Amino acid sequence: MRLAPGVWVGSLRDLIERVFGAPPLKQLVNWGRIYSLWPVHLMTACCGAEFGAMMGPRYDPERFGMQAATGSLRQSDVLIIEGTVTKKMAKRVKVVWEQMPNPKYAIAMGDCACSGGLFHDSYSIVNEVQKVIPIDVYVPGCPPRPEALLNAVIKLREKIRREEVYSK
Amino acid sequence: MTAEHSAIELDIAAIVREQLGNATQVKVDRKGRVSVIVPREFARDAAVGLQRLGFDHAIAVSGVDYRSEKRIEVVYFLSSYSRDDLTHVVLSLKVQLDRENPSMPTLTAVWESVNFFEREAYEMFGVNFEGHPNLQKLLLQDNWDGPPPMRKDLKIPELA
Amino acid sequence: MSTLDLNVGPQHPGSGHMRIMVRTDGDLIVEATPDIGYVHRGCEKIAESRNIIKNIPMLCRPNIADDSHLNWSYVAPIEELQGVEVPERGRYIRTILCEINRIASHLYGMSIMAGIFSGHTTMYMFGFGDRELLLDLAEMLTGARLTFSFFVPGGVRRDLPKGFKEKLLETLDHIERRLPAIDRIFVSNPVFIERARGVGILRREHAIRLGVVGPVVRGSGVRCDVRKDAPYGVYDNVDFEIPALKEGDSLSRWLVRFEEIKQSISILRQVIRDIPKGPIARKSPIVVPKGEAISRIESSRGEINHYIVGDGSDKPYRVKMNTGSFKNLSALPFLLKGARIGDMPIIYGSLDYWPVEADR
Repeated sequence: MRLAPGVWVGSLRDLIERVFGAPPLKQLVNWGRIYSLWPVHLMTACCGAEFGAMMGPRYDPERFGMQAATGSLRQSDVLIIEGTVTKKMAKRVKVVWEQMPNPKYAIAMGDCACSGGLFHDSYSIVNEVQKVIPIDVYVPGCPPRPEALLNAVIKLREKIRREEVYSK
Repeated sequence: MTAEHSAIELDIAAIVREQLGNATQVKVDRKGRVSVIVPREFARDAAVGLQRLGFDHAIAVSGVDYRSEKRIEVVYFLSSYSRDDLTHVVLSLKVQLDRENPSMPTLTAVWESVNFFEREAYEMFGVNFEGHPNLQKLLLQDNWDGPPPMRKDLKIPELA
Repeated sequence: MSTLDLNVGPQHPGSGHMRIMVRTDGDLIVEATPDIGYVHRGCEKIAESRNIIKNIPMLCRPNIADDSHLNWSYVAPIEELQGVEVPERGRYIRTILCEINRIASHLYGMSIMAGIFSGHTTMYMFGFGDRELLLDLAEMLTGARLTFSFFVPGGVRRDLPKGFKEKLLETLDHIERRLPAIDRIFVSNPVFIERARGVGILRREHAIRLGVVGPVVRGSGVRCDVRKDAPYGVYDNVDFEIPALKEGDSLSRWLVRFEEIKQSISILRQVIRDIPKGPIARKSPIVVPKGEAISRIESSRGEINHYIVGDGSDKPYRVKMNTGSFKNLSALPFLLKGARIGDMPIIYGSLDYWPVEADR
């Protein structure tokens, strides 16, 4: 709200958002976010084995700041949906997603999460995880190699770098 | 199949035939495979008798939907932990049930391990196991309202 | 005395999806009820609508870390119904892949239990680092790290590539050199021993009554292993032992897996030394003749069975799979009763329960 040129009136929260939402502080905040992506291990099905391999010493996601977070959902940033989401589990995936604090991101790993994969004609699965929660990065593969998952993490980081700090 | 290898299977077949009488059909399919077909009234007695013979390991329970013959067959696969001469044998105990109303007494009192196996057969084929301690859905989603999925009534589109 | 109902799962850090509804009195578990089916994908139903070759990748997915055993268990009844016998070299190659798979799968299970569930990640890094070498070997042979789909009715898809024998022996030497380190750091570690010894004791008579299989039953003193009871492949031509420990606690179940890795290394050395020349597969038509057959294969988590009913077409009339994890599920409520809540991860990890395999 502007009264006159050069004068701006608003609440303290608006002020903080203006300061941190503009460069150079915006770059700093986003840099902090991309170097501390703690994943939630939603090991649905087979892809969990490749996620486990990716967290191992050969592929080492810790150099990207992705810790082998076995902590609670309330201090995680990225939900990696590894594999098929069944109808029985879909409700619980939503519960997990809603518990995570903002900003949060989701990676759909594997053909089953992207579009149904090998089991697309099953009577008990949800074919596209997009119907349950919003997805940021899709990783095709059955299962995707750990390098492909690392590539997805890198793409997610590029996406976060371009993002607004406070999204409405 | 040498004479000494087939001896135990033929022995078992003879004992089972003798104990259960004419209502059962017993066959030795090959080395290590014996099959026994019983009507539902004799299922419990057959199970107890087989357990006493040494078949104390129930390795699987399967339902099969023979829709054109209007029957559902529940097959118990049995082997042995304790008898060394029976560890290589799989005895299939087949119970034939009417497809419209499949129901048979539970065998959980004989082999405790079939508890979860019978629950799966209940939800997948609709077989009622009388006297089962906890006959509820196991694998299907909470609000499943269709027919028992493994019956041939539920069709999955075939790939070309 | 009032009790508290806790909901453990279905999302776990370090395991697949299954829920345990636990009723506790303070710290002591009074009753535990497993609730499974969160990864039930209907494999058996889908298998009835695809032809037998197209079923192979799909039916191997229930346990992706143990792909070759599920594959063998699926093609064996089809071969029996068709009357096709796998040539000797094919059986040797199948055994090689299965034993490589067994070591990799045991390293996975052991790493999760002694690592993540015990509250640190060191064993996880040890196990997964060494497992990568085995996956490299498997990739050299089959072209895939985990999803081999390498066995077809009649034999195997490809022969051993050039240089495979040398790489196999080199990898086995490396794993053998690493095992004493794991022994020193984890097996003899008083902290791990305190957490796992005497926890979740399953006595022999209970193990038989509950019908458990695999390392769980061998950790309770029952020397039950399909490779010795009903040999398949080339297991009647190699010398190996079945490790079994009497104590029946979580530490014994972990140690049984550790010993089995050593036995698998010995089997692999014998098999690669004795492998004969010859064809790797026999022709087999894409049809399941009328009849029924059941297979028994010892996978890393226990005995798996495939019961196939054929009707003469190219699609199976009925495929029933029963896996080690589903059989071991009956031990979980029994072991958790009377245990402390803090012991729950160790007991669960010692059963090496793979939810996807149990739910199919």
